[in-house]
Amino acid sequence: MSGAIVVGYTATESGADALALGVRLAESLHMRLHVVIVMPSEGRRSAAVPPERAYEAHIRAQGQEWLRTALESVPHEITRSGHVRFGESFASGLVAAGEEFGARMIVVGAANGSRLGRHRLGSVATELLHSSTIPVALAPSGAAKTTAANVPLSRVTAAIGTREGADVLLEEAVSLAAASGGALRLISLVPFDVPPGLDTGAITLVRNAHGDDVLTQARAALPEGVNAEIERASGESVEDAVAHLPWQPGEVVLVGSSRLAQPRRLFLGSTAAKMLHELPVPMIVVPRTRAHDRSDRGY
Amino acid sequence: MSNTSRATAPEEAPVTGGISRKGLSAGTVGLIGAVVIGISCIAPAYTLTAALGPTVSEVGFQVPAIILVGFIPMLLVAFGYRELNRSMPDSGTSFTWAARAFGPWIGWMAGWGLIAATILVLSNLAGIAVEFLFLLIDQLAGSPGTIAALAFNPFINVFVCLLFMLGATLVSYRDMQTTQKLQYVLVSFQLLVLLVFAITAFVQVSQGNAFDASPVELSWFNPFAVGSVGAVVAGLSLSIFIFWGWDVTLTMNEETKDPEKTPGRAATLTVITIVVLYLLLAISLLSFAGIGEGELGLGNPDIQSNVFFYLSGPILGPLAFLVSLAVLTSSASSLQSTFVSPARTLLAMGHYGALPKQFAQVSPRFFTPGYATIAASIVASAFYAIMRFISEDVLWDTITALGMMICFYYGITAFACVWYFRKQWFDSIRMVFFTLVFPLIGGIILGALFFMTLVDSMNPDYGSGSNIGGVGLVFILGVTVIVLGIVIMIWQAVRSPAFFRGETLSLDAPPSLKRR
Repeated sequence: MSGAIVVGYTATESGADALALGVRLAESLHMRLHVVIVMPSEGRRSAAVPPERAYEAHIRAQGQEWLRTALESVPHEITRSGHVRFGESFASGLVAAGEEFGARMIVVGAANGSRLGRHRLGSVATELLHSSTIPVALAPSGAAKTTAANVPLSRVTAAIGTREGADVLLEEAVSLAAASGGALRLISLVPFDVPPGLDTGAITLVRNAHGDDVLTQARAALPEGVNAEIERASGESVEDAVAHLPWQPGEVVLVGSSRLAQPRRLFLGSTAAKMLHELPVPMIVVPRTRAHDRSDRGY
Repeated sequence: MSNTSRATAPEEAPVTGGISRKGLSAGTVGLIGAVVIGISCIAPAYTLTAALGPTVSEVGFQVPAIILVGFIPMLLVAFGYRELNRSMPDSGTSFTWAARAFGPWIGWMAGWGLIAATILVLSNLAGIAVEFLFLLIDQLAGSPGTIAALAFNPFINVFVCLLFMLGATLVSYRDMQTTQKLQYVLVSFQLLVLLVFAITAFVQVSQGNAFDASPVELSWFNPFAVGSVGAVVAGLSLSIFIFWGWDVTLTMNEETKDPEKTPGRAATLTVITIVVLYLLLAISLLSFAGIGEGELGLGNPDIQSNVFFYLSGPILGPLAFLVSLAVLTSSASSLQSTFVSPARTLLAMGHYGALPKQFAQVSPRFFTPGYATIAASIVASAFYAIMRFISEDVLWDTITALGMMICFYYGITAFACVWYFRKQWFDSIRMVFFTLVFPLIGGIILGALFFMTLVDSMNPDYGSGSNIGGVGLVFILGVTVIVLGIVIMIWQAVRSPAFFRGETLSLDAPPSLKRR
């Protein structure tokens, strides 16, 4: 699989988490790794602070030092490079770098202060999820320290719904699974509207039927020769369902962007947001339409 | 194989510091942007309320003359700044430049002077902000005097001041974004309110409502009418403070869209705006309130450290809250730029080994000099809290001591410019003036101001009249700051002598570019 992975790096624990996931993905998918630090450009942050190129040069040198240290830990089989970029915000700088390198994925870490092994969206991830044109992979907190860091991608799980964009999600999941040699699993967590007051038995019935329906459609849409495990998540809520599903250490989950998103941009929907709280494995958010060629990307 | 490749740089230049295609011109500042930065850094509303009273107490009606004269050394030194910044841009500014010209010891003291001055101004800025916060609440609540008076309870005052400081530290540490639009609005609002304030004062005078109507005289513009040299010196060292920060407009070179023209034009435009505003306000308030020691007289020691606080009500009536708001926003918006300066100098000093390495730390999350910012904030807070309890008038004394510290490090910087360029003095007519004549005269003036202020301030009656054991508090402050600097410098020289041996920052003098 050709392409590159851009890691949004900071010299913090969450940056190390992002790097660890980036390394895993690059290794499993045989992609180039670009580790990027985005710094605030001088004169852009506060209109009251005089910009100073000398200071910019200083923090750039510091950033390069951080990158050098970080790249030392990357296995040698992986083609990698480090870049210090200046941007209006971390997220916009990452998206720009991602587009420049033709990245298949941008990897960022969970915010500081999240429960170990879980996700918590920081401001960078949130902004990225609302503006990126490229799939965004979120590394859960502590990804760098757990043993799973060395595990190759063993399985790709796609959380399938019926909304527009499910086809792109499926396609991406199939291609990731194929590139990594891992298994493919399809799950359904679709929330739906039920009339208030409906008894629990009826809800479960409708829910199961709905989930089966979605998965059947998805299975039918799979390319020939591709096998997938099908799993229906059961539970009272999305969180409950996620918590009860079995997860492998080397797994990643793909979810589609919300239908509220602009075409080809991301927007984390409510189901995905709920999943994120319980998910012990990395999540990759995929835009609901794919930019097939670069000519329609606006530059 | 893996061993060798680990030791050498991995293939294909792995780390780039490149600028993405959009980034190249994105961070540059235009003319208006540069003027806004200049005015934000000067913070005229804050500066004038803090400095007008002490200046009047020294020079009486001749404040306009002192404002005009005070600009001259500032301008001369700023030319030197510009040359140094062009030749060796560095975030250590005065520290780095003086170390390159005169060696590590003098460089260290210049950096120390800069840090001390900015820490003094931080504490004063926060002190003024606290008083106006209470005044604003008072004005909006319509409870004349009761809430405003709370600002003078030392415990409440120090507590609120520390909160301000905490807020400012957070903003600086996290490098919070303020949009250009917001900054434009704040600066325009500040200028507009001050203009209205001045004009209303004139109107009140013409309608016979003035507290002590004093007709404007030509002699107000004559520095020789002051009478005593000591008074002129004291006034001048205060007027250095009111222009302080203006030099950034001149030193922004590559940072502007048109490096050839923008800095010069921005500096001119900023200084015309500021001088006109200062003169207008000084003259209007002088003619409204006079220099007597009566209730609202500018000579009244009780109101001198914060004149807008007392005069805005009588002049503007119900609209007085606008002045409070202008001073508050002015202080708030300059807090961030004020914090940047000591933090970056501390960072540079840490980087070159002139201070412990921790000071060179850049926050990996926010890319700000995190350790240095917090250190500066703690020192400024502690300084303010202590001063509040030992000084009769903390705001006044900090401003006077500040003027002295600015003269100290600006003076050293001016001489550093002269000495650093010694081999290029006669390269061109331009170089003769900008690297020799102007900074030399500026440096001599500031040096003289520094020593004369130091000697005068020994007198217990100097400034606000605060003294310890019969020696003026301002003198004690100035000497303590400098001696403390020397002690820390020696301590650092013993602990890590590399910088002091010139190993990290060496002496330099660029050779003449003239071909013989």
